[in-house]
Amino acid sequence: MGLDFIDRSLRTTGIVLLIFLPFGLYYFGVYPTIAVLSGTVWAMFNIMLLSKLIRSVIRPEGVENIGPVLVVLVLFVLLFAAGYFLLTIPQFDPMCLLIGFTGLFAIMFLKAVGRWLTNADEQSSNTRNIQKVL
Amino acid sequence: MDYQSMLSLALPLGVAIAAVGSALGLGRAVGSAMEAIGRQPEAAGKIQTAMIIGSALIEALTIYALVVFFIANGKIGG
Repeated sequence: MGLDFIDRSLRTTGIVLLIFLPFGLYYFGVYPTIAVLSGTVWAMFNIMLLSKLIRSVIRPEGVENIGPVLVVLVLFVLLFAAGYFLLTIPQFDPMCLLIGFTGLFAIMFLKAVGRWLTNADEQSSNTRNIQKVL
Repeated sequence: MDYQSMLSLALPLGVAIAAVGSALGLGRAVGSAMEAIGRQPEAAGKIQTAMIIGSALIEALTIYALVVFFIANGKIGG
């Protein structure tokens, strides 16, 4: 399970969100659907920033350039301010925001279970070893 | 002490305990990840992925506590 797992999970979440959007608008109404959407988009940005921060800071070579790290830290503050703003909007039910926020983790969990059931990690490492030999 | 006062005390305390727990967990996770990358630099990608997912889950627990705070906050009367 490499670093591409995070990117693929984010892409899958975006696709699931697009599929959910018309059904949510039809069955649950505008505000709950927008709240779920906002929660998921917030979680996606959170994971993206977290992944950028960890990839640029926690690595064997150390931090090369401090500029992007500072930008990510400032974006984190803005993201949390946006999260607080979302929680204080009276039309948005916090439970709907929470469901949207948890959606990303549910997709990550299901993807990990899928990879474990299909032995995708072992297969990909075997393919890499064969490619190395060839 | 009545229900309202207990709720007013318990809510911020609960969020604070969740934040302290998350901070301790995150600190431990980052420390272990740095140690593991130092020992095996070639496995940095895998360690980073596990670290990102772990950090997100630890952070999510604090956010859940915060959302519970917001939900229960409406129950505190004036």
